[in-house]
Amino acid sequence: MDAISLMESAANGALIGLMYSLVAMGIVLIYKSSSVPNLAQGSMTMLAAYVVLAFANSAGAPIWAAISLAIITMFIIGLAIERVALRRLAGRPIIMILMMTLGLEIFLRAGSMTIWGGTTRPMNLGISDAPLFLGPLLINRAYAFGAVVTIAMFGFFVMFFRSRMGVVLRAISDDYTAAWSVGISVERGVALSWAMSAVVATIAGVLWSSVQGVDQSLAQLLLKGVTVAVLGGLDSIGGALLAGVLLGVVEGIASSVLDPLLGGASRDLVDAAMLILTILIRPHGLFGRHDIERV
Amino acid sequence: MNAPIAAKILSLNNIEVVYDHVSLAIKGVSIDVPEGGMVALLGANGAGKSTTLKSISGLLTAERGEVRRGELQFRGQSIGGLMPQDRVKLGIAHVLEGRRVFEHLTPDENLIAASALHSRQDMNRNKDRVYSYFPRLHERRTVASGYLSGGEQQMLAIGRALMTQPKLLMLDEPSLGLAPFLVAEIFQILGRINRDEGLSILLVEQNAIAALEIVSHGYLIESGRIVMHDSAAALKKNPDIQEFYLGGAENKNFRDIKHYSRRKRWLT
Repeated sequence: MDAISLMESAANGALIGLMYSLVAMGIVLIYKSSSVPNLAQGSMTMLAAYVVLAFANSAGAPIWAAISLAIITMFIIGLAIERVALRRLAGRPIIMILMMTLGLEIFLRAGSMTIWGGTTRPMNLGISDAPLFLGPLLINRAYAFGAVVTIAMFGFFVMFFRSRMGVVLRAISDDYTAAWSVGISVERGVALSWAMSAVVATIAGVLWSSVQGVDQSLAQLLLKGVTVAVLGGLDSIGGALLAGVLLGVVEGIASSVLDPLLGGASRDLVDAAMLILTILIRPHGLFGRHDIERV
Repeated sequence: MNAPIAAKILSLNNIEVVYDHVSLAIKGVSIDVPEGGMVALLGANGAGKSTTLKSISGLLTAERGEVRRGELQFRGQSIGGLMPQDRVKLGIAHVLEGRRVFEHLTPDENLIAASALHSRQDMNRNKDRVYSYFPRLHERRTVASGYLSGGEQQMLAIGRALMTQPKLLMLDEPSLGLAPFLVAEIFQILGRINRDEGLSILLVEQNAIAALEIVSHGYLIESGRIVMHDSAAALKKNPDIQEFYLGGAENKNFRDIKHYSRRKRWLT
């Protein structure tokens, strides 16, 4: 294993990792504004990709128009999920809410199978297959594009959480009752966070399906998303970004070193190890908030 | 008890609250707060003080409680069916027990979060007003609120409530866990806000001594019922109140204390 190809794995890994961050960002958005860990983020990503294809193929819209329409559709679906499935659970034990999001994950995945079947369909964004040359390193163009989009989204959400609306969402996540007591419409805030998260899922879904096509395996991005979100600290957008890069690099290097020895699957092993170790060693992640205890 | 017939900002008539459809928390509570007045609701732990406040601010539903009987009126309007944020909009602010500041937000952000219903100009004006009442919050405005001292957090909780431009400020045990000099300072500021702005205040307290110093009128609640109400001066002179809520008569010699406890002369 020479140094150049190792560096290449690391560089592409970092870019892939940024695309993991985008999935994690959806989880963080909801957690940061309502303290709900959303296990349906993977299948929301998958659903969004199918919605884009539905607009592009059935309605015959050009791909960028289809993506815009899908963003609007998913915004509404995000609002609907909150309204129908989660609102009545507000204030209930977190385990029930967690199980509800798991139920949604399974429902969306199974539903998509019923409607669209299980064959993989291509999503063509018109990004060329020719690699970019970064010095001696070959970089995948689709990964590079995804990474740039992720960083732009990151910038947007950092600004958003400093805005008045963003402060209100953070307040809701801190204390529902106190938020009600100062006139915050908690329900509306939580609904907005789901809608934004569904929009992020759309963008992640488009980027990932341009790489691997559209099928139910997109929902497995949940594992990457959860690992990155937990490693980054669940309520930290910046944490999700850095944790994504970290996981991507470790995965890239590990798979190029270990795959020949273990015969594949080392990526998922690395994922699982990262998730388990984070929870054991540093449960609040790299940049997550501590629960403040004054002594 | 011939209080002059002033306009009432808040009027509770025979309120009854149940939690989880079964347990009766307060039974037939009636309270009036006059416009611009300052009224205390006194009582021991678990007497139903917080429940009464939550029935007014609408925060009962979050805890699976509901007002089953009685009438809630704010400036003559029935508010029983309104959502919490609509009651805040009308001008009812509830400072929760245990302060409940947004711990991961700075004091400045706490105040911003509480202005969801107001324009940016109103928000900035309200912030200036809160910082002028509580200059210490201004000094600490960039620290995470979870790291503020108990007194500072209480000031922030009150300031946050003031950001909603209330007509009626309800406080749930603002003296809880605070040093006496801080209690005095906070109560003095409350008195000032009441006088300067004509803000009506409903103060819930276990610390009856401190509360009766600043209010004009007090209600005493026990086991979910109002058992007594009178002017603050009259309550302070009442021997039962002195015995049970004001720490007994002065100059008491421990040798003379009876070995049985004094019976309360009201029914609960």
